Amino acid sequence: MDASAPSSETGGREPLPSPSTPNGGAPSPPGSRLAWLRYLALVPALIPLGVIFAIVYTISWASHLTSLPGFFSFNWAPTTNWGIGVFVVGSFMTAVPALFFSMVIGLGLAVASTTYLPRLISSLLDPFVDLLAGIPSVIYGIWGFVVIGPYFGLTLNPWLSAHLQLIPWFHATRTAPINSLGLGLPLAIFVLTLMSLPITTLLIRDSLRAVPKDLWESGLALGATRWEVLRRVAFPYSRRGIMSAAFLGFGRAFGETVAVAMLIGSTAQIPPSFYGTGYTLAAAMFELIDSAYTSAQWLSVLTEMALVLLVISLVVNIAGRRLVISLSTTEVAGV
Amino acid sequence: MAAPVASISEQLPGDVLIDRSPRTRFRLGFDRAMGWLTPLLFLVAILPILDMVYYISAKVVPTLTWNIITSTSPYQTDALGVPLTTTAYLIGLSTALAVAFGLLGGIVTAELLPERWASAARTGANLLVGTPSIIIGYLGYLAFVLYFGWGLVFLSGAVTLSFFMTPYVFRTADLAFSSIPRTIREAALGSGASPSQYIVRVGLPIAFPQILTGVFLAMAIGIGETAPLVLTMESAVLVPHSLFSPAIVLTEVIWENFQSGTPVLVLLAFQAAFLLLVIVLGLNVIVRVISARYQKRLEGLYQ
Repeated sequence: MDASAPSSETGGREPLPSPSTPNGGAPSPPGSRLAWLRYLALVPALIPLGVIFAIVYTISWASHLTSLPGFFSFNWAPTTNWGIGVFVVGSFMTAVPALFFSMVIGLGLAVASTTYLPRLISSLLDPFVDLLAGIPSVIYGIWGFVVIGPYFGLTLNPWLSAHLQLIPWFHATRTAPINSLGLGLPLAIFVLTLMSLPITTLLIRDSLRAVPKDLWESGLALGATRWEVLRRVAFPYSRRGIMSAAFLGFGRAFGETVAVAMLIGSTAQIPPSFYGTGYTLAAAMFELIDSAYTSAQWLSVLTEMALVLLVISLVVNIAGRRLVISLSTTEVAGV
Repeated sequence: MAAPVASISEQLPGDVLIDRSPRTRFRLGFDRAMGWLTPLLFLVAILPILDMVYYISAKVVPTLTWNIITSTSPYQTDALGVPLTTTAYLIGLSTALAVAFGLLGGIVTAELLPERWASAARTGANLLVGTPSIIIGYLGYLAFVLYFGWGLVFLSGAVTLSFFMTPYVFRTADLAFSSIPRTIREAALGSGASPSQYIVRVGLPIAFPQILTGVFLAMAIGIGETAPLVLTMESAVLVPHSLFSPAIVLTEVIWENFQSGTPVLVLLAFQAAFLLLVIVLGLNVIVRVISARYQKRLEGLYQ
């Protein structure tokens, strides 16, 4: 049995017979007056897909690709050179480390609740992880700004800078000092880790639960410890699920808007050091929209940025969903 | 000094029964250590939530008066009645749209469509869930505000938000109908129910609790959404009197006020954040309670 096969519950049900066809389920003959009714049923089902197409169409239509020369450069100098490179790099610089942390923590959490903890305790603790997905991103933003930011700015960043000063990029310099509000990459990464944690944990947990009991028991019976069964049997078995968790967690971290806009410091530059401020695609699209109300050129450029973000997030999401074809059976807020 | 009593394994030649080699001890110790360390990671999830709730409540609760929530005076710096009411209207309209589309779509996908079309529909819903909210905001801005010419008004925000919420209702409706046992469906059809009778009289009552959790989840997500609403609605000081008036919701209050640095405005942002947190956590608890009861009911029903 393959973990990626659609579960028997959601797949393989034949559709209900159509009421317009007395011969039960067989397609109506082409001449039948009611044949078109069958296609009407498609309409509500395809609304989400239609919205996706509407997004692709609208955004492609509204971006005139006027800013192409220099569009992918690293020089953001509005109205002369629209180089969105700084935003793309900023997005990757925040999303990739956040994904790394949330995968490591998510693996640990999934292992704890599927393998080590008694069922009762894990069923009490798991909802907290799921709850992280339900908390609005403005609340992450305001909490990060007021509570976590000062700690990062006054304690953690100076400490890291003092202890990691041999590594070039991790050493704060006079040109790129640590700001005392703590705004910048580390804060954004921290909050993005928390925000992408629920989806990675949920998907890894589900794929570990899908490992057949036989495999577990034969591993234990051969004398392996639980950790060894995990390492050698369960992880390889559920690697597709784990990879899809990585893709979808990345998509979540990459597209996050409001919390990042509040925390990254909103400076159109590549962070000069690890503690510097920067910008991400989504945050820039959100904060700079005011300029687009009056200027057609701004609108066009921002829409082109939306197109870049859309392409990246669609690719990541399609890849992630293809890895796990069947949807997880647990529906969780924001996942 | 008496020699300690030799353990059984030491009496056996070559430690045949109990392996006490350093390597085995390490393996067992490592396993046990992971058993202690991995559960500690739950602190990473639990502490931020507790800290958030504690910090925001400690800051807001002493300043919170009934008047702040219920006041209907124009939204300025001291009252949240207007944003709260507007949020309720907005979520009401978006939820109605999302339920209309999502419920119908989910049922059709689970029960009527052939597998090929159904999987296309599910892919669409999954992709829409994964689409960043800012992108949906841009769709709303480009399509409703500019192309249809509605302007930065309540209706633009509500329809944009309903796009965001629809796939959640869709997926739970699909999942709920798909997981109704085959036997029940066959019994209904076999005893002469038409497909529509089966869906309305048999399927819907069974699937209802699960669909309800989907609707509440969609509401919780919609209430917490900021970016699409900031893009599609102009902020106002009054409750909108028509679909085409500007409107302000709780999340916009937080977003607009928190960076100002003025203590009064920051406090207002925190009060709004507190209300938002209470509503969202409340909805999440309701979802948990319903799904727990629903699990029990299912167990009683099918075993």
